[in-house]
Amino acid sequence: MAGREPHRGAAERIRKAIALVNSVADDAGDEDITPTEIAEAIRDCLELGEVDEAPNVRRYLGEALDAVSDGMPADFVAMTLYAALGALREGGSR
Amino acid sequence: MKSAEGRGRTLDEAVDAALIELNESRRHVDVKILSETASETIVEVTVIDPAAAVLGTTMPAAPANGKGETARGLVEGLLKHMGVRAQVSVRTGADPITLDISGRDLGALIGWRGETLRALQAVTNVMVGKHLAEGERIIVDVERYRQRREHTVREIAMRAARQVKMTGDAITLDAMQPFERRAIHLALEGDPDVTSSSIGEEPERRVVVGPRKSAED
Repeated sequence: MAGREPHRGAAERIRKAIALVNSVADDAGDEDITPTEIAEAIRDCLELGEVDEAPNVRRYLGEALDAVSDGMPADFVAMTLYAALGALREGGSR
Repeated sequence: MKSAEGRGRTLDEAVDAALIELNESRRHVDVKILSETASETIVEVTVIDPAAAVLGTTMPAAPANGKGETARGLVEGLLKHMGVRAQVSVRTGADPITLDISGRDLGALIGWRGETLRALQAVTNVMVGKHLAEGERIIVDVERYRQRREHTVREIAMRAARQVKMTGDAITLDAMQPFERRAIHLALEGDPDVTSSSIGEEPERRVVVGPRKSAED
């Protein structure tokens, strides 16, 4: 499924950010993820031009970045990143 | 545990038939689909905690159960808005609180490698967040997908441990999600001969199972 996705590069970067956030939420106990690392992963997403090709993706990523800065719970950040991923898919299927 | 088989043209009809036989409400049962054809659905309905079911009718719910019920109501509403017909129940005795979603054709709710399920869980935790204590979370499972995955990775861990004991060589497993890695670490933590650690970066982080070095080494 991932192979058929439009904007695959951006989707992969968003998934990486989601994986980091989920790692914090699930507390796998085998790595220490800092908010800085999560913020960095989200900034990596924002650097891609692809995020402007679908509506709202940049907005959601910006909100996720703000949420990390504000110390919001991991699930809130994850939810916003999933929204970005969904918007990317919807934008790509038009 | 009390259980009954129900048959009907639809999943709802089959569950209702079993519930009538059990004289029980949906919130206290676990539903397992035994067979499903275009004309008939057969389910096995099991009362998950008869004591809780009886108490629930006469006494206020325990605090944890109250949170579970709040979450269950919210997820039911969410699924209704999404146009998904499914039953949501609170898994009895589970810690953390776990919601089981069951129904027909729920593959879309699980999504690619459980991605949609994770998104649903994140939304649920955000919605229920104010009712939860710090660090407390709700786990959402669809058709026991997560439970099955945990079971599968534990089996993988045990197999890897056996191989490590035979060969003495470390084994690197496939990339896994954090809850799967956690299940492996927990499965092997009591094994005196092997140890588990993780390498790599998300989402390609992998568990390495290797021989445990003794203090003399």
